[in-house]
Amino acid sequence: MKARWIALAVLVVAAGLIAVLATRPPAAATEVNTPLLGHQAPQVSGSTLTGGAFTLSALRGRWAVVNFFASWCQPCQQEEADLVAFAYQHRGAQDAALVGVVYDDSTSSARSFLSSSGATWPAVADPGGTLAVDFGVRAPPETFLVSPAGVVTAHLDGPVTASQLDYWLARGTEAMP
Amino acid sequence: MTASRWRLWAPWLAMVVVLSVALAVGASRPGPPLSPTQRAAAIDAQLRCPSCEDVSVADSSAPTAVAVRAIVLQRVRAGERQAQIEDFLVSRYGPGILLRPPTRGATSTVWIVPVVVVVLALGGLGVFFWRRRRRAAAPVGIEDRSLVDHALAERAAGAQS
Repeated sequence: MKARWIALAVLVVAAGLIAVLATRPPAAATEVNTPLLGHQAPQVSGSTLTGGAFTLSALRGRWAVVNFFASWCQPCQQEEADLVAFAYQHRGAQDAALVGVVYDDSTSSARSFLSSSGATWPAVADPGGTLAVDFGVRAPPETFLVSPAGVVTAHLDGPVTASQLDYWLARGTEAMP
Repeated sequence: MTASRWRLWAPWLAMVVVLSVALAVGASRPGPPLSPTQRAAAIDAQLRCPSCEDVSVADSSAPTAVAVRAIVLQRVRAGERQAQIEDFLVSRYGPGILLRPPTRGATSTVWIVPVVVVVLALGGLGVFFWRRRRRAAAPVGIEDRSLVDHALAERAAGAQS
């Protein structure tokens, strides 16, 4: 009889734990410090996954969201829907543009990852991780907000949400001279 | 210092001088020129892997460590000095990328404080021994002398009886 009560108690605790873990909000990105804040963003240039050429300086005059990602990275998969939503919301206004940088991933895996999630923004290959080191990236996903003047205004570590990006964009716009 | 004391200390002093000169010459003599790969490896060993916990870039196989190693080698081959390469990486990752605290700026206190502490400790020890020796060399008072004489006389009397 006593053993039955113990088993029931264990079952209740386990069920409660599962419920808490299943319903808690997913981890969101946090703003982290970077020596690049307030400085010109490193140049991002190279061939895109679709074979085109890309340079970050071509986006001058618009906000640029530089997102380091990999198909094998679970938080990158988590944020992808929000990035798609953000890109869609800002498509009409043309005030912000997304660019992905592949982090330690094969071109084919990264390409299929983006196409399966409906991403239409350019993604630049980064063989050797030169761009990642230029931005001081430690592990994906990491996102950098670059002002229309080409200055880094925020560095977000972890999976971003569309509302977070909008918040940092609005904050950056307010702070602009 | 008397001549006999000099004779006692001279060999030790000579040994210290010879050892110091040998160490100074050995440390300052340039070794054989290092290849770019060896120079890059030496720099890698002093960099912290950005995505690991207290592992050097040289010892890690994490993608960031691999990328940093490639950048270091590329910059060494381009003729950059270690300080220039470290400055570049600090401008990207912050000073935490360096396993050894830099010897300039505010962090230089990390290097200065231990030296100051050692110098102060040696100075304190020197002062302590000097004062003790001075106390030991101080003339014996009449009271103390009479106490000792009394004790010696008692001991001699005890031995005779």
